[in-house]
Amino acid sequence: MTPAEPSLAAPLPVGRASQSSAPTLRTAPQSAAAVRDPQEVRVIGPQERTSLFALIHELVTHRELIHQLAARDIRIRYKQAMMGFAWSILMPLLIVGAGTLVRVVVVAMTGVALDRTEIGAVVLKSFPWAFFAGAIGFGVGSITANLPLVTKIYFPRSVLPIAVVVSNLFDLAVGFVTILLVLPFLGAKLSFALLWVPLMVVLLVVLAAGLCTVLACANLFFRDVKYITQVLLTFGIFFTPVLFNNVQFGPRGAKLLMLNPLAPVFEGLRLSVMQGHNLLATHSQLMRGVTVVDWQPWYLLYAAVWAFGSLALGLLLIQRTQDLFAEYA
Amino acid sequence: MTTSSTPAVLVENVAKRFQRGERHDSLRDLIPALLRRAGRRGETNGVATLDRDEFWAVRDLNFQVDFGRALGIIGPNGAGKSTTLKLLTGILRPTQGEIRMRGRVASLIEVSAGFHPDLTGRENVYLQGAVMGMSRREVDSQLDSIVAFSEVEDFIDTPVKRYSSGMNARLGFSIAVHVNPDVLVIDEVLSVGDMSFQKKCVERMLAFKREGVAIVFVSHNMQAIGELCDEAIVIKGNPRFQGAVGEAVTSYLRLSGDDSAGVQGDGITVTGSQLVDPSGQIVEAAAPRQALSLQADMHFSVPLSDLTFCLVVRRATDYLTVYDGNITSQELGLGVIEAGSTVRIRFDHTAHLTRGQYLYTLGVYDQREGRHRIWVVPAAGLRIDEYRTYGGVADLDVETRVETLARV
Repeated sequence: MTPAEPSLAAPLPVGRASQSSAPTLRTAPQSAAAVRDPQEVRVIGPQERTSLFALIHELVTHRELIHQLAARDIRIRYKQAMMGFAWSILMPLLIVGAGTLVRVVVVAMTGVALDRTEIGAVVLKSFPWAFFAGAIGFGVGSITANLPLVTKIYFPRSVLPIAVVVSNLFDLAVGFVTILLVLPFLGAKLSFALLWVPLMVVLLVVLAAGLCTVLACANLFFRDVKYITQVLLTFGIFFTPVLFNNVQFGPRGAKLLMLNPLAPVFEGLRLSVMQGHNLLATHSQLMRGVTVVDWQPWYLLYAAVWAFGSLALGLLLIQRTQDLFAEYA
Repeated sequence: MTTSSTPAVLVENVAKRFQRGERHDSLRDLIPALLRRAGRRGETNGVATLDRDEFWAVRDLNFQVDFGRALGIIGPNGAGKSTTLKLLTGILRPTQGEIRMRGRVASLIEVSAGFHPDLTGRENVYLQGAVMGMSRREVDSQLDSIVAFSEVEDFIDTPVKRYSSGMNARLGFSIAVHVNPDVLVIDEVLSVGDMSFQKKCVERMLAFKREGVAIVFVSHNMQAIGELCDEAIVIKGNPRFQGAVGEAVTSYLRLSGDDSAGVQGDGITVTGSQLVDPSGQIVEAAAPRQALSLQADMHFSVPLSDLTFCLVVRRATDYLTVYDGNITSQELGLGVIEAGSTVRIRFDHTAHLTRGQYLYTLGVYDQREGRHRIWVVPAAGLRIDEYRTYGGVADLDVETRVETLARV
């Protein structure tokens, strides 16, 4: 629904307004139909099959709502200044700490010297992971948390999970500033490969938005989805190259790990920032005498298909089911 | 595609089916439910079938509202009024039929639903404005007006959790009326705030009407319906009446008391009540000063004496009492009315009333017990048709004469 233009509500001519208050016309119907003649019509029927394009268009027309909802989340988080700051910095720092600890233990057990770039990789990946985990964790309950709104006022319901992703993106932005200050000392390479970083972030955000939308919708119908998601997120860090790199899994393990749609994003970030690698080329690394292929260009396409596919699925899912929302509430 | 003759709201053959009872809302319960559904799939092929645990919330809904007109929806609780509004706003989708809404639709349903308690009034105005589809620029330009209308100027930078419920609702209402809609859907929110704010709201609604906004209004406040609406629908699952507001109110009150079985009181059952003219014809509409009689047949299941019969006449649109009179059984010379007997009581009268819709209410008071044994609401409805008065309620039998006292 695009808002009607103000011209439709042109002020009444004075003559007409005073006429309608004349006693003789008091109960007579006031025919003011000529004043309003909006051309757009919303048809509400049993089946509403909207194209994906129309859904995206609806999201664009509701960008102000997404913005306001995200601003609400951020404002509330930062109202308690300590909490807000902690959220965007402390959570990733904890992950960095855990990652470093894991690395130190590995070093102690294998005797392979610890490279500072490996710490750099952990720092680099911790913030995106914190973003992803935060977005999914909050996003899964975004529709159920706003049920009073959802059952009273019509707006595209997909704005709710997407607004959560946007508000977490704000934290990621704060985090990236931190990364920018630290990474030069941890072996990041200044190269043209850094241009891949924005694309990786886009893939990550779209994937998070897609999964959030699907999960938020599912959580409405099955309230235990939220708890299952939390458990999966906790385990997820072990199946995603955040605290480690895929090379450490050996040739086959690395390939297997890259099936996780998040893995190409995280490894892409690492390779472009820490190795200065152009992601359009294959990359391999020697690991304990074995050559491990840790990047293939088609990983990009694979992650993109997951990201945009899940977003499309989520948007369609919400659109097809959103009339049930009020009933399930 | 559309012309100016197309109504703002067009509802055609709309029906909504709901599922009764418990829903599986966890994955844990999903598997058995899926198996059940798979076993049942073959049986349901039509669109309009009803399963054992399903019911129609509304059916056969047909109406239209033109720009600049207001439609009232009245009905008892659970009659499907809110469902109808949710269908109009697109929150629910009809099981059958189609709704066409032209232009921007704003709903005054739970006007502060989008508020966050920790945000200030100002922040919430932007949030709620966005929820209702306003752009940032619109809110910017309307902010002063919104704040002024809500009368919370001094607290606009205070978190709304510190607001009273009235302030909360006033601010929400104020945002909603600044949306600049083409169609406005209102659900019983005019009861917000104190008297003066309510008056302001009704005035704002009337102003919307003058500006050509189409309004659909659900309320239990018959006076508000009467003030705002041009016509009304009575629904109880399906539409029972559609037409002038006064008649709709009568029809609605009739619904609450089921006519066919009679009105059951304590020891007395009114098996039928109607308004008749001197020839015994049932009257629904009359001219002023027509001779009328309200007659009611009462069956007594216990012997009773010392009764007072009460007749109350009210204007349907605002409940203004135009007559409230009693007569005792002693005055009527009645002794004990035996159990099992049926009596017909007649109140002969003349309707000195002006144009409008009126309701007759009948009661029987037990003087010994000190309580009413039965109230029949309404016992009858009456529409007075005349086109000479502008307002008022009493027909004073005015004869206007002009004499020329002096000629120039």
